[in-house]
Amino acid sequence: MTAADVDIAVLGAGPAGSTAALAAAQAGLRVALLDEQDAPGGQVWRAKSAAILSAPHTPESKAGAALRQAVADSSIMLHPATRVWQIARTGDGWQIDTLRDGATDSLTATRLIIASGAREVVQPLPGWTTPGVIGLAGATALFKQNLTVPGARTVVAGTGPLVFYVASEIRRLGGTVAAVVTPNTRRDWAGSLPAMLGKPALVARGALWVADLMLSGVPVLWGHQVTAVEGDTRVSRITAQSVTGASTHNFAADSLCLGNGLMPQVEAAQMLGVPLHHDAALGGWVPACSDDGVTPVAGLYLCGDGTGIRGADAAVHHGRLCGLRAAADAGCTSGHAMDIARRNWRRAARFGLAMTALSRPTPALAQLASDDTIICRCESLTRRDILAEIGSGATSTNAVKSGLRAGMGPCGGKYCQTSVARLIAAETGVTEGAVPPPTPRPPLRPVPVAAAAGQFDYDDLPIPKPAPL
Amino acid sequence: MIRLVPNHADRIRRTAEVTFHFDGTTLPGCEGETLIAALMRAGVLHLRNAPHDGAPRGGFCAMGLCQECMVRVDGQVVEACRVTVTPGLQVARL
Amino acid sequence: MSYDIAIIGGGIMGCATALRLAAGGMRPIVLDQGDLGQGASGVNAGTLSLQIKRVKLMPYALKGHHLWEEMGTAVGFAKTGGYTLAFTDREVDLLHERQTMKREAGAPITFVSNNALRAAEPGLTHAVKAASYCPEDGYANSALTGQYYRGKLQDAGIAYRERTPVTGIDRVDGYELQTPAGPVRAARVLLAAGAWLKPLAALMDVDLPVNARINTVSVTERMPAMMSHVIGHATGLLTMKQKANGTVLIGGGWQGKGTPQQGRGEVDVAAVKPNLALAQYALPALGTARVLRSWTGFEANVPDFYPLAGTLPGFDDAFVLGCVRGGYTIGPSIGQLMGDLILGRSPEMPLFDPGRSFEEDRP
Repeated sequence: MTAADVDIAVLGAGPAGSTAALAAAQAGLRVALLDEQDAPGGQVWRAKSAAILSAPHTPESKAGAALRQAVADSSIMLHPATRVWQIARTGDGWQIDTLRDGATDSLTATRLIIASGAREVVQPLPGWTTPGVIGLAGATALFKQNLTVPGARTVVAGTGPLVFYVASEIRRLGGTVAAVVTPNTRRDWAGSLPAMLGKPALVARGALWVADLMLSGVPVLWGHQVTAVEGDTRVSRITAQSVTGASTHNFAADSLCLGNGLMPQVEAAQMLGVPLHHDAALGGWVPACSDDGVTPVAGLYLCGDGTGIRGADAAVHHGRLCGLRAAADAGCTSGHAMDIARRNWRRAARFGLAMTALSRPTPALAQLASDDTIICRCESLTRRDILAEIGSGATSTNAVKSGLRAGMGPCGGKYCQTSVARLIAAETGVTEGAVPPPTPRPPLRPVPVAAAAGQFDYDDLPIPKPAPL
Repeated sequence: MIRLVPNHADRIRRTAEVTFHFDGTTLPGCEGETLIAALMRAGVLHLRNAPHDGAPRGGFCAMGLCQECMVRVDGQVVEACRVTVTPGLQVARL
Repeated sequence: MSYDIAIIGGGIMGCATALRLAAGGMRPIVLDQGDLGQGASGVNAGTLSLQIKRVKLMPYALKGHHLWEEMGTAVGFAKTGGYTLAFTDREVDLLHERQTMKREAGAPITFVSNNALRAAEPGLTHAVKAASYCPEDGYANSALTGQYYRGKLQDAGIAYRERTPVTGIDRVDGYELQTPAGPVRAARVLLAAGAWLKPLAALMDVDLPVNARINTVSVTERMPAMMSHVIGHATGLLTMKQKANGTVLIGGGWQGKGTPQQGRGEVDVAAVKPNLALAQYALPALGTARVLRSWTGFEANVPDFYPLAGTLPGFDDAFVLGCVRGGYTIGPSIGQLMGDLILGRSPEMPLFDPGRSFEEDRP
């Protein structure tokens, strides 16, 4: 086998991937770090765009800046603005095909660490495809990168701590919060207190967000959920109801930030043959790997939220642990550092898992979609369409995908498959864990034909012997 | 009214305003910012119509996954949440 | 409960045979390790082209085209007509030699002038040196195979079990098939498991010389109308068509990696790139289309590239059907013939003895 370009390639430059890359680089290995964003930081520590000359710091911007500085000061070969569209095994190593500025390239590595992070779970409800409805996590990306709010008057709704962070950021950036609506109750939050006590600074910050909303007269509706969004080319009105259905509130608003926690992005690991299992406490389907990120696929490691939603703090320690493990497997041992990282990871994961538990969609949220509510946004397939397909005997996500195209659109099923699987589970009387996601297909991101084809000379086409006549 | 979370809007300094074009309309933006943010500040959230029912759609995930903010730049479909505003940028609705 | 026949493999061939058998009075059960129509039947490019069929299989393909047309919108059938292109002198020779033989075998293929081609498909490159045309060509949507046959089996009252792999086949007063969901008894068995025929036949101590090709297909996002016919290439290395929804499906038999035994195929970028390059060469406007998905499907074959369709060697109540080159097109018709054979009728076209010697190109 020819020598690989690098010892370790790390995909994803969020807290986990960047820290894994740093750990491996500090151990003396040649490390490449790839990310589709322009700078390391991931979603949680996303860097500001070039349009922002200066702005007040936040804990997230400081953490991100420190991480970016550490990467810049290291020997890591950073590949920013680089989309990975295909990964394949070559001999004992890996080939990673990338797309940057409309051109493809490839990189080989002996070992591969995937830190693919998370994406958002948004429970479909009537009107959720109206322009002006954006994901809670999507909103934080806008805030961090562009310091821009989605509208003049925003309702913030969903589960977990992110609603309060998003509401407070909208206020900090000059927007107006019409209301905060969360199905969680104060009792739900009180139940998480034991796990939260390990992170007093975060608890204090959260308490300040809530207090600020209260003092400013922003309605905070605990135990409530948004049940409908009205508006044609833009959100105009939001309806919220108490989870028990006892009370209804209407808000005039031009935007809605909506989310129900995060789920691990497992497609890349899945395509490379890592088995998945369902663990609701970790955010859904998670790939098989050890605490150190070792997978059953030789030379492939996983770390961070892509292995289960434990949050940014845990991701840092998990990244270090995984980077040290990969370095150790490459012959660069690190003494007790792995034990320390593992201990820190477990401690941080306690807090993160408590937040994941608060963020999980409640059963009542699954009832919000009406028959006419779109489930698959790409193909405009309604709940009625999906139920009819299941009723006709399509009882797997692959079968629903084939029959209806739910998951064949441009997003590749990223925003419908959780809902489709839940509907199959409910209709066929099995658990969500008995309804695996559909077979993942490359490319990992859409890639233009011209870019994939690259420079091409017709005479170089490898022509096989003609098919039998 | 008491504010515990300060309003930082006035303390954000951006690059000079430029103009770009969305579906024939000239809009302001800051060079280097993400197209979807510039469109949002300009009040443009309706970016395209869904292929089947023609219903209006706009940016949703804001991180390059959901493909709801697809627009056309230089003949190529791209995500508005991954395109950078440059002076005179021509953006077309799908 | 005992069935008259257990059909292992719920693709086009297994389901088409089951339907024929039920119509003839038998009680079949169909078992599939995955979902119905999710193997080669459901992941191929859906091309229905007489221009790429084997000469000796042309009667089966002509019948197949007729059956697909009858299935109609439920399977996404579209008869668009198809052009096959040649870009070099060598390809021109190949095109003339092969399409002439296929025309003599009954396919209504003609050679068309460049002007006629440009009038019909103005988006194609001007580098085309010669082209043939067949008005019978078109496509169906292979993704709808499972949905279609699931409904047909239900309508006919035929039992089927999905996600039920057969792990053992025992002879006990007929056959007892072992599955994770319990045993299934039947008087006869039909092996119709495509690329998985070899390990399946091995459960009955029969060695079938089945290999698998790993064909790659890619699909783009919706695009404005760019072409209106099925487009092929003289070497067979390209098939493409634009569906009514605007997506463009690109195939051509470029090989991926993996084996049926591993359970999954893997797309090989080294094969996808020239496949896409050839597509863009033929239709330059395709360059900006974003590829959303590429996938592979296992196409089973034996060394002579003719079907296995008949009794399993050494058995009189066990049958095998598969390895049909052009199996998507021919599947519905050869399934009917197979059903007739099992019912004890004489099929209207000859079948292909699985016990033959497999020297190349000698059925």
